[in-house]
Amino acid sequence: MYYPQNLKTLETNSNHISQELLETVERYINNTMTSEELKSFETRLQTDAAFKVQVDDIRTLLTGIESQALKEQLDDFHKAIDSNKTQNSQAKIRYLNVRRLVAAAAIVIAVGSFWFFNQNSPENLYAKYFTPDPGLPTTMSNQSNYEFYEAMVDYKQGKYKSAIEKWNAISQKNDTINYFIGVAHLADKNENDAILFIEKSVQNSSFPLANDAYYYLGLAALKNGNETLAETYLKQSNLEKSKALLSELLD
Amino acid sequence: MREAYKIEHQLQLIDAIKANDQVALKQFYVGNYSKIETMVLKNSGTIEHAKDLYQESFIVVWNNLKSNTFEPKNETALQGYLYQIAKNKWMDVLRSKTFKKTNTLTDETLAVLKQESNDDLDEEDVLNSRVKTVMEAFKNLGQPCKQLLTNFYYEKRSLRDLASELQLGEASVRNKKYRCMEKLRNIVLSSKS
Repeated sequence: MYYPQNLKTLETNSNHISQELLETVERYINNTMTSEELKSFETRLQTDAAFKVQVDDIRTLLTGIESQALKEQLDDFHKAIDSNKTQNSQAKIRYLNVRRLVAAAAIVIAVGSFWFFNQNSPENLYAKYFTPDPGLPTTMSNQSNYEFYEAMVDYKQGKYKSAIEKWNAISQKNDTINYFIGVAHLADKNENDAILFIEKSVQNSSFPLANDAYYYLGLAALKNGNETLAETYLKQSNLEKSKALLSELLD
Repeated sequence: MREAYKIEHQLQLIDAIKANDQVALKQFYVGNYSKIETMVLKNSGTIEHAKDLYQESFIVVWNNLKSNTFEPKNETALQGYLYQIAKNKWMDVLRSKTFKKTNTLTDETLAVLKQESNDDLDEEDVLNSRVKTVMEAFKNLGQPCKQLLTNFYYEKRSLRDLASELQLGEASVRNKKYRCMEKLRNIVLSSKS
């Protein structure tokens, strides 16, 4: 991290914006200043008009960059709307073809999965059912949750070890953190730790993700080869996929 | 999608939009278009008008959200705000001379639209002209700089992350980013004069 030693020494030559000033404004906008720095920054904004002009200029630059980047993305978003429409208008023409394709695909999948999952071994079931939790939308704006979401970004990118490390570093762990540490452990092929952490999250009976938690607990037990435990867990989850997995397990 | 996830998601939608979360932005964009398209089509406009108007309004709303000019209490308030801005903008278009020349019946349309709302375009309904200048400059900035600044400021990726992707040291990415900002600033300064 690069913190300027003293804000008062930052130059205010209006034709020049220093790297230091740019990064100071970035910290201000991202809410990552220490309270001390924030205080002296805001005091200077009020007392030094030239400084304020420079800060406003930087803000305008950043707003412009983000606005243009968003603008260039909107046409891409719009394709989702356009394709919905064309699908509707062409639906009738495609209908038969799609039906045939779906039927053919269903047969292939049915035959294939019958052959592949015939044994219903725990390993196969696990591989069939396990996909990591999609995670929560990452919002960096909230300062108090910054560490949590920073780890969430790693998690979503599949960097489970680094996500676990960051979540572990948070001293006050709530159910959600324990849950995601556990799921990350599971994705990282660490079933025992997974069970340990996800178990902590379901200690609280009102945990909103409890159904998901029991689903992953079931999977972790299954991966460990403990089918009886897996059944116990899965019975406590009312997700469709839990029920499906449970019925396959009991077959 | 899972129930619990959905609830969390709604609470966080506004924060997520502010943080440029791609999923949230797209969901919000796609989900609010049809209502505004209907409004434009009913009032002498075409699908092309609707798309342009919508995108412009969307950027204004997102900007006001980020600058805390507008602080919605929930998702519905945000949707209403987007619609209101689009409508005000459309009334402005209908009033314009160039539009009147090529279209009849706009006066009656205007009267109907006006009944529904009596707000005129406020200052906050349009993008600041200085921001527009920067947008134009950034649009034409060289690709490597544009990419880097987009990654950092729009996608909110960390220097560390970008450094490992570009296989450079963190310090040199940091310097690169600064030089790119200087480049952009110079284009802005020269386009003003």
